[in-house]
Amino acid sequence: MANVELSFKQGDSLFHRMTPFSKLLLVLSVSFVAIFNTNLYVGIGLFLFCLFFSLFLTGVPFRQYWALGKIIVPFVMILAIVFPFFYGGQATVGSDAIALRTPIKDLSWGALGFGALLGLRFLALALAGLSFAFTTHPTDLVQNLARRGWDYRLVHAPVLGLILFPSFLKLGRELSITQRIRDLGQNTNWLKRKWIRVTHLAFSMLVLGLRNGQTQAMALDIRGYGAYKTRTFMREVPKHRAGEIFAWVFFVLSIIYLIYQFNPATMQWNIAS
Amino acid sequence: MNAENALALEAYSFWFKPQGGQPEGPAALEELSFAIGAGSFVLILGRSGSGKSTLALNLVGIYPDYFGGRNQGRMLIADPERGLINRRELEAAERFKRVNMLFQNPEDQIVTLTVEEEVGFALENYLFEPPEIHRRIDRALELVGLNGFRTRETIALSGGEKQRVALAAMLALEPSVLILDEPTSNLDPAGTADVLATIDHVREQLGVTVMVIEHEVDEVFDRVDTVLLVEDRHVHGPYSPREFLSERGLMVRDDMGLWIPQAAEVGLELRAAGIELDGGVPLNGAELTAAVGALGLDLRSSGRSEELSANSDVAAGEPAIEVRDVSFAYGEHPVLKGLNFTARRNELLAIVGQNGSGKSTLASLFNGIATPDSGAVLVDGMPTSEYEFAHLAKRVAYIFQVPEKQFVCNTVYDEIAHGLRALGMSEADVDTRTVEFLETVRLLDRRDASPYVLSHGQKRRLSVAAMVVGQPEVVVLDEPTFGQDFHQARNLMELLRGLADDGAAVVFITHDMRLVAEYADRAAVLCNGEIVFNGTPGELFAAGDVLERSRLKAPSVYEFSRDLLGAPVMTTQELSQRILEAADGQRRTVV
Repeated sequence: MANVELSFKQGDSLFHRMTPFSKLLLVLSVSFVAIFNTNLYVGIGLFLFCLFFSLFLTGVPFRQYWALGKIIVPFVMILAIVFPFFYGGQATVGSDAIALRTPIKDLSWGALGFGALLGLRFLALALAGLSFAFTTHPTDLVQNLARRGWDYRLVHAPVLGLILFPSFLKLGRELSITQRIRDLGQNTNWLKRKWIRVTHLAFSMLVLGLRNGQTQAMALDIRGYGAYKTRTFMREVPKHRAGEIFAWVFFVLSIIYLIYQFNPATMQWNIAS
Repeated sequence: MNAENALALEAYSFWFKPQGGQPEGPAALEELSFAIGAGSFVLILGRSGSGKSTLALNLVGIYPDYFGGRNQGRMLIADPERGLINRRELEAAERFKRVNMLFQNPEDQIVTLTVEEEVGFALENYLFEPPEIHRRIDRALELVGLNGFRTRETIALSGGEKQRVALAAMLALEPSVLILDEPTSNLDPAGTADVLATIDHVREQLGVTVMVIEHEVDEVFDRVDTVLLVEDRHVHGPYSPREFLSERGLMVRDDMGLWIPQAAEVGLELRAAGIELDGGVPLNGAELTAAVGALGLDLRSSGRSEELSANSDVAAGEPAIEVRDVSFAYGEHPVLKGLNFTARRNELLAIVGQNGSGKSTLASLFNGIATPDSGAVLVDGMPTSEYEFAHLAKRVAYIFQVPEKQFVCNTVYDEIAHGLRALGMSEADVDTRTVEFLETVRLLDRRDASPYVLSHGQKRRLSVAAMVVGQPEVVVLDEPTFGQDFHQARNLMELLRGLADDGAAVVFITHDMRLVAEYADRAAVLCNGEIVFNGTPGELFAAGDVLERSRLKAPSVYEFSRDLLGAPVMTTQELSQRILEAADGQRRTVV
C-alpha cells in the first residue's frame, strides 16, 4: 500500500504463516518484558531477539524497518542520552562507580545503563510492533480475533483506522496549507498565532471529520455492518501449530521472568516509595 | 400501484429528528406518492439542497432507521414472492439488500484494503457462505469490467476504478433497486463514460432498477426512461425524459438553475423562437441533427466557421506565471515531467486532463505550496522559491475544490475581511470593502452566519470572494463549478471573467469540457505529467488524437454543431442563433 506507512507486506515467512493471535501474543509478551524489565542484560537480549526475528523470520527487507526506524532512532537517542542525568537508582543496571564526568553531572555506570535500557526498550517495542504490522493482514487479524469470540465490529475498527487515517492526514495537511495561504493569525505574536492555528485546525478537522465519519457510518450500515452479531469470512486464516506453541511458550516464559524479577524497590518509577 | 413496480411511495412524509430540544421542523419530504417500474432507469433531478439525498436516504432506509427522524405514509418494496410489501415488514438489514445506494465519493465507501475484500465485505456481513461469496465477487467484478482486479489494493485504484469497485460491492448483494448519488462527479470524461457504460451493462444483465442523482445530465438523459423532479419538499413525476424536457425544460434551467442536455437546450430555444422540431425535444445530438436536418435549412453556407472560439477575441496580456522545465515527483513516482508553459494576464486558462494526470500538483506549484524538483515557476518574472510564502499567497490566490477547507473564520463577514486586514487596511476601509464584496457575491444577508452553514453554492462564492478580495494577480481554482447548478456555475465564471478583464490571470482545473468551451481562452492538456496540448478550446476539440490520448471528450454541442453546420461552435446559444438566422434567411427568400 503506497500511502500507508505501517502496512502489510506480502510474504511467506514464518511470521507470515503464524496466526495473527499468535503474533499478538508474542508482541504483547515482548512489550511487557520490555516495559517492566529492569535488567540491562535482559534488555540487550530482548533487543537482539527482536532484531533477529525482524530480520530473519519476517522476510521483510531491513530498509522497510529503517524507513520508520530513522524516525524513532533520534527519539531513542534522546532517551539514552538525556535520561541518565535523571537517574536516581531506579533500576539495577550497573554500579555506582563514575563512568563519565560531564559539566552538568557525573554519570555512574548505573545511570548510563539506565539510559541504555530505556533506549533498548523502545527499539525492542518498535521492532516487535513493525514485525507484527508488516506480516499481519488486517483482515486476517479481524477474522482470527472474531473467531476467538471478540466482537468483529470492535476488531474491524483498526482496519478502518488504517484505511481512513491517510485521508484524515490529508485533510489536516490541506487545512494546514489553508492556514499558510490565508496567513491565519496574521499580526499576532508567534505563540498566539500557533494557538489560533491549532484551535482552527482542531475545530475544522472535527467538523469535516465528523461529516466524513457520518457518511462512512452510513456506508457501513448500508452494507450490513453490524446487522448480525457474527459474520462469515470469505477466506480462512490457516492455523499454524508451531507458531502458536512458540508464542505461548514465549508468553509463559515472559510471565515467569516478570514475576521472578518483580521488585518494587528497583522499578524505574520506584513504586515502593 | 401494480405488481410490476420495484418501489412505490404512498403519501410518504419525513421529518428530521429535532436537534437539541428544539421543536420538530416542517417535513423535509411531504406527501410523496409515486411508483417506479421494475427495471427502470430513473434520473432524480433537483437543485442543491432540494432534498434529493434525503429522498435517496429514505428510499434506502438510512432515514429514519439509523439517523432518526419520523416518517408517515407507506413505502412499498417489491418482494420476489409476495409482490409489493411495506418496507417495515422487513428487518432493517434485509431492507439494504433490496434497496442499496452508492455514494458520490467512492472514497467514503471503501472500507477494506483489497478489491475482493471490498466486494465481499457486505456478503460476509450478511452471513453468505465462502463459495457463494467468491461466486458473487467474480460475477460483480465481471459486470463492472474489473475481472483482473481481485487482488488489487483499493488505495492504488484510479477514481473511475474505485467507483466501479464500489458499484460492484453493491451489485454483489444483488439488490432490486440501486441508487447512485452523482456517481460520475469526480471523474474525467472517459471515467464518466466507463461508469455509465457499466451501469448500462448491469441493467441489461441483471434487470436491476437504477435511480441516479446527477448534475451532469448530458450523458444521462437519453439513457434514462423516467425522470423525478425534487422541488421544495415535493417530488414531481414520474415523467418520461422527453415529456419532462418538453413541459419543464427551460423552466428548470432558467428558474431552478438545473442543467439540461445541450441538444435539448437548442431544441427548446428553437421552440421558444417558434420553430418546432419533429419528434419533440431532442435528447441527444443525433436526434437534434436529424430534426434540424428535416427543416431543410441551408446551415452550411452561412459562413461564420472562423468564429470557432467563443472567447477568441480576448487579448491576453503579459505573462503572470511562467513554468520553465518543471519536473516534480512524489518520492520515486514522477508526476510532472519537464513542463513549459505560460499563464497570461487577462486570460482564462483551463488545465484539463484525466484523473491523476498531475493537474492539482501543477497548480500547487503556482503559489509555493509545493516546489519543483527541477526547473522553476516564475511569478511576475521571479521564481516562487524566492518569495516569502505569505507574500506569494497574496499574489497567487489558490481556491480548493472543497470550499469548507478554505474557511478560517467564524462568520461570513470575517472570512472576507480577513484577506483585507492582511493587506494592512484600516478597519473603516475593511468594512466598506467587505460590505461591497458581500453584495457582489450576494451574501450580505448572511454576513453573521457561520461559513459552514451556508448552502454549497454560497460556500463556493464565499471561498472565491475571500481569496480574490485582495485583488491577486493570479487566481487558481480547482474544479470551480464542482457541484454547482447552472446559474451558480455561470455566475461564478462571469465573476472570474471579470477578474481576468481587470488584469488577473485566471487558471482553472476542470473536467467539465462544457465550461472549457464556453469560458476558457486557452486550454492546456496534461497527460501523464506532460503538456500534450496548449491552444484554444476550438483547436483542442479538433485534435482528436490529443482527446483520445488524454481521455477527454469534446462537449456534445461541438460534436453536433459540426455535423449540422460543417464547422463547430462552442455554445448552444451560438448554434441556436445560427439555426434561427438560417430559418429567417429562408423565410425572407421565400417571401
